[in-house]
Amino acid sequence: MPVVKALTGNESAAHGAALARPDLIAAYPITPQSSVVENLAQMLADGKLSCEMVEVESEHSAMSVIQGAALAGARTFTATSAQGLALMYEPYFRMSTLRLPMVMAVAGREMTSPETIWGGQQDTVSLREAGWIQFYVEDNQEILDTVIQGYKVAEHQGVLLPVNVCYDGFFLSHLTEGVEIPDQEQVDSFLPQYRPQHVILDPQRPMAVDPMTPGNLLMKYRRNHLEAMQTALRVIDEIDADFYRVFGRRYGGTIEEYRLEGADAVLVTIGSMTGAAREVVDLLRDQGKKVGLVKVRVLRPFPLKRIVRALRSAKAIGVVDRSVSFGWNSGALFQEVLAALGSQGMVMPAVSFIGGLGGADISNDHMLKALTTVLEVSANQAAEQETVWLD
Amino acid sequence: MTSTWISPTGDEGIYQIDTGKWRTFRPVINRDRCTNCKLCGYYCPVSSIKLSNQQQVHIDLSYCKGCAICATECPRGAIDMVREGEE
Amino acid sequence: MNLQEVFYGAEDLISPGLSACPGCAGELTMRTVMKIMGKNTILGVPPGCMAGAGVVGWNRLSGAKVPITIPLLDNTASMLAGIRRYYQSQGRNDVRVVAFAGDGATADAGFQALSGAAERGENIIYICYDNEGYMNTGFQRSGTSSKGSNTSTTPVGAMRKGKAQHKKDLPLLLAMHNAAYVATVSPAYVQDFVRKIEKAKEVTCGLAYIHVLSPCPTGWWFDPKDTIKLARLAVQTNFFPLYEYEDGRFYQTVSVKQAKPVQEFVSRLGKFKHLDQEAIADLQQWTDRRANLLQRLCAESPA
Repeated sequence: MPVVKALTGNESAAHGAALARPDLIAAYPITPQSSVVENLAQMLADGKLSCEMVEVESEHSAMSVIQGAALAGARTFTATSAQGLALMYEPYFRMSTLRLPMVMAVAGREMTSPETIWGGQQDTVSLREAGWIQFYVEDNQEILDTVIQGYKVAEHQGVLLPVNVCYDGFFLSHLTEGVEIPDQEQVDSFLPQYRPQHVILDPQRPMAVDPMTPGNLLMKYRRNHLEAMQTALRVIDEIDADFYRVFGRRYGGTIEEYRLEGADAVLVTIGSMTGAAREVVDLLRDQGKKVGLVKVRVLRPFPLKRIVRALRSAKAIGVVDRSVSFGWNSGALFQEVLAALGSQGMVMPAVSFIGGLGGADISNDHMLKALTTVLEVSANQAAEQETVWLD
Repeated sequence: MTSTWISPTGDEGIYQIDTGKWRTFRPVINRDRCTNCKLCGYYCPVSSIKLSNQQQVHIDLSYCKGCAICATECPRGAIDMVREGEE
Repeated sequence: MNLQEVFYGAEDLISPGLSACPGCAGELTMRTVMKIMGKNTILGVPPGCMAGAGVVGWNRLSGAKVPITIPLLDNTASMLAGIRRYYQSQGRNDVRVVAFAGDGATADAGFQALSGAAERGENIIYICYDNEGYMNTGFQRSGTSSKGSNTSTTPVGAMRKGKAQHKKDLPLLLAMHNAAYVATVSPAYVQDFVRKIEKAKEVTCGLAYIHVLSPCPTGWWFDPKDTIKLARLAVQTNFFPLYEYEDGRFYQTVSVKQAKPVQEFVSRLGKFKHLDQEAIADLQQWTDRRANLLQRLCAESPA
């Protein structure tokens, strides 16, 4: 029987990983991720988990050990944050371009400098062009469930890509919530054993992995990778639906639409800030305001079609980013949404909101300010908007 | 063959360069001096020195780059380096 | 295996046509190592001369007859540790995992990963072919280039005379990690070479580290025919002593009764052509000091 326990976000990630029966875990401590691996190490010590655990000397080696094991056929798991992810970048990029499925939990953290250890999404958002699938989740139950979903997406024969499950450092990693832990048997039936067919380092089937590849062939690999990303959009939605049938919970797949019926002003959010946005949408709806919400659950691949469909009736939108795009004087997600709309010839007033950097809170007041601003813009249809800082 | 264009793999054969064409000098064993001690084969970087069915060392020139290590190391001076094109 | 079995009997598991320079000691070493390791081996060759020469393959072709990959320059030991750990967990302990890495990938960029793997006792066989520099990218200085080396990043001119620092001593560093087995080998000392590779092959617990001084005709500027001569001279001058380390003890495996002056080795290499007597004396002193240290370390161990 599934049990409900009070779990932190990091414990939720650890339980999700353990339920996926990884063959090998390699990780290095970093705030705010550390307790993910500590929890897994304790499960191992208590005999509740059986796998290889490699206590590496750096995140670079964590990803490297995992890469080797994955090439040998293992299901793998790691977790990290910010500087650790940055140190991983070299093997991180290669994990996706080698097309090795895995799940990595990221307790999101702002990037130094200024020196910081607190929450933010700059670490993973900055790596959105490294070929990984990136989920951004809202609460602890979704962390656990998305780790399990993540493996199924990653190992899907039409996808074969690594998956990040990103959750806001401290806001979720250290927040305790009631979380339902599914049955191992249920998870086993949902997530069968992983058997790689497309690449293997095994003397019984000798091959070279990564011979020198000229550009004309390299482009074929890139094209296939891009196509797999597009396939993943469909697969993520399907697997979310499958998950619902087994576990009774679902998250909308790549995006979640919230109270969009007849909404003139729509807020687009990502990660744990969505909770505050929901409350503010409810509040304004109670006042008769036509507002709604789109939660972007998957930033990579970008769910262009679903976003466009969700926003097509809005008169104005606002996008709240917990990270910045240095070249755009706005948030990164904001530019992604604009690009999606523009690609379909849709033009509407849009406001970029930036908040919650470096562990700063995004409160209900911030969300109220944001949604009220978008409502005003939707009424007067002003075209050009300044970026609004939620500080 | 693996599923093409997913992971970059090399499993469609062995890559080999025709290094035998690099040579300007080729090693030739002087059978009068050769004692068949087989030392030359221990030092050939290309593994070009082989044994015949009669257990005699001979040089397979297919990939020999003509480095002349064999000629230098032969304790009997039984390997001559001969310019390509000459007998 | 006896020498004839290794060099004439065993299958060459590397592509016969690699674009390594004529007279390359690295190519010789790699082929020999793999003849001893055999088919049940997974090989990791990071960026460097051997990968550049095509052993990981081109296009859709492989450069070896065993499973092979090219780790990053800086993660060879950890990537291979991951492979080995998985095979161990699957009960397939017979699958050997071997690194064949240059000195740059070992002493410099890859040292952290190697140090971590050695400390954790990862059961991989790590072979470093030390040609004293980044030869594949054009003979730049590395942590193992000898002092005075004329490299493309420590060139000789009116004001500077090659590399200013002595060589980083990797095998001793690995011994100080208490690696399960550490050995220096030379392609000139074949019997010693084969015995040590076979020993490394049999290490089932912990990391085996083999360091081979790999004379490089192109980067050191000498005639390719002299590769083995120079490898031998490096040992005979004590410039590269042959020893092994096991269970906390050092053993000299090839004793040099009357060491030749280092000058005999140095004077044959173009990269040292500019060295004056003072610089050569410095190299001699460094050589003597290490030979001395090794002698004392070996004296602590039973014969």
